[in-house]
Amino acid sequence: MSKSRRAFLADTAGALAGISLLPRTLDLAPVRLVEPVRVGLIGAGRQGRAIITELQKLPDVTIGAVCDTSPSRLSSAQARAPGSQAVEDFRAVLDMEDIPAVFVATPTHLHREIVEAAIAAERHVYCEAPVAATVEDCQAIAGAAGASSRVVHAGFQARSNPVYRRAQPLFQTELGNLISMGGHYHHKTSWRFPSTEADGAAAVNWRLDPEVSIGLAGEIGSHQLDVALWFRGTSPSSAHGAGGVRFHRDGRKVPDTVHVDVAWDDGPSFHYEATLANSFGGRYEVFHGSNAAIKLADSHGWLFKEVDAPTQGWEVYATRQQFFQDEGIILVADATKLAAQGRLKDGVGLPYPSLYYALADFLKSVTEGTPVACTAAEGVRSTIVGILANQAVISGSSMDLSILE
Amino acid sequence: MGTRFELILGDQGDPTWLRSIGELALEEIRWCHERFNRFSSSSLLTHLRRSKPGSSVRVDRDTFALMRSARDVCHASDGAFDPSGGRAMADLDLDEDHSTITLRGTGIALDFGGIAKGFALDRAASVLREHAVESAFLHGGTSSALGIGTQPGGAGWGVSLSEPRSGSNVFLQDQALSVSAAWRDNPNPTRDPRTKAVIPAPRRVAVVGPTATLADAWSTAALVLGTRPPNLGPEWSVSFA
Repeated sequence: MSKSRRAFLADTAGALAGISLLPRTLDLAPVRLVEPVRVGLIGAGRQGRAIITELQKLPDVTIGAVCDTSPSRLSSAQARAPGSQAVEDFRAVLDMEDIPAVFVATPTHLHREIVEAAIAAERHVYCEAPVAATVEDCQAIAGAAGASSRVVHAGFQARSNPVYRRAQPLFQTELGNLISMGGHYHHKTSWRFPSTEADGAAAVNWRLDPEVSIGLAGEIGSHQLDVALWFRGTSPSSAHGAGGVRFHRDGRKVPDTVHVDVAWDDGPSFHYEATLANSFGGRYEVFHGSNAAIKLADSHGWLFKEVDAPTQGWEVYATRQQFFQDEGIILVADATKLAAQGRLKDGVGLPYPSLYYALADFLKSVTEGTPVACTAAEGVRSTIVGILANQAVISGSSMDLSILE
Repeated sequence: MGTRFELILGDQGDPTWLRSIGELALEEIRWCHERFNRFSSSSLLTHLRRSKPGSSVRVDRDTFALMRSARDVCHASDGAFDPSGGRAMADLDLDEDHSTITLRGTGIALDFGGIAKGFALDRAASVLREHAVESAFLHGGTSSALGIGTQPGGAGWGVSLSEPRSGSNVFLQDQALSVSAAWRDNPNPTRDPRTKAVIPAPRRVAVVGPTATLADAWSTAALVLGTRPPNLGPEWSVSFA
């Protein structure tokens, strides 16, 4: 039996070579701002508490106030941000003259009122993503942000993540012809939260309330779709979806498993799959091209080159490693310098979680005027795709995305 | 923490509700792991170790409490328990008013592996209690365990310290258990942090008391000392095997 040249090359190379994508400079020291800044947190649920944790690592930041309508969450947040003032009404935070910047981490459907009020009070705003739960709210936030001189940053973290920033230009230069795009989110969890307050269960389980929830496609998928929108730089034209409750049969209406195809007129679709019923594979995005594939998984990323793809000069510096069945290449930028400083032992992942970089980007925009890493307009665009993708899942039909034009 | 944690919720409540509480407790354990994993480049512990000598790092109240407990047991055990590798936590300044931690030198080897599992169990138990769970058993890697209330049926949560079929010989009721051991032919034997001497093996100690965090710390100290730590309060029981 004769072998094709393509098969021979694949055998010889042990299939694809994986190149680990790491930022050019692994900056291990905490981000410093040009001046100290006091900030307020509005919404102290899981994401709010995660924001506190990362803000504590920024030496120039003081959390002046935390806000939540739930006494137990407020108490927990204050324990995580010692010295902060705890208030139940977000307007009290906006009244504090010494707090120029706020983080909005309430349930998605409550963002609009708070963001609009914060912008009206001339505060800089970091709005967690997805930005809102309806197209109308998205447009209102985009309008208010567009008319404001303050920083309004949408919390799509990938845009600040050094691994994704490293990958974005490679998407343009290394992939060749774009063949397919995909996103994957598998996490076995109920998405249901208990409440310590008598009437709190409905409020904390807003993700499972079909009246306000934008489902997996919106809440999680919009983050992963944002990577595709950012890398492609153009807007998709339609979304088709399907889904259902495959495992958590506890009376919920919001699907625990979804499949979405978001289509571009000028190229391949982004296929998205998410489930709360299985954890295998976790969360990642993958982009396939004729020369290479890029896989991104939060703190790690890889470039898998086809054996017939042109070799770039920088690959010479890569370190080889067995990568499952393939011989891969790990590229650790600044490896010599890091080794000399004894820092390689810190590992090859990111020195900080991706949320940290998004928060730091926002605060640098506030204090130094650096460009906003993810503007309200960009965040609204990806959010609308997520909202309409969820509607496609619910309806089982196609949704027109021409509203993005 | 590199080990498996398990929860048994003994309440006869709605399974959906219990599952959501269990998930929240496991998330708290995961958060502890993310803070104190010395092998992770993005953990709080790594951030602390990377911080410029003399610079203060703000931490949450729980993390501060863990650091304080570690320091207190280190001093009370005369250094037999020492997460700072024999430096008696001397390079660590704790400022309670500002909830800050300051490392005074570089290359300080902080390792909370001997106490983090217990801390995670205490945090998870706190979540369960906040949500009115009155009967639960939690363990991390089987060497740290905690019982809330009693088992369905009335007895404390039974744990066997020897052969699984020999029956329970510790019953935990709102108590925690920590077991530390030194084994023969261990390629990485346990050492006395003060003298670096290898702990005689085999030696195993089980400590039972009010919190899993302190149980972990004191069982390590007892293993090193080879006897009940002199400063350990009467609410603690210690047994060697």
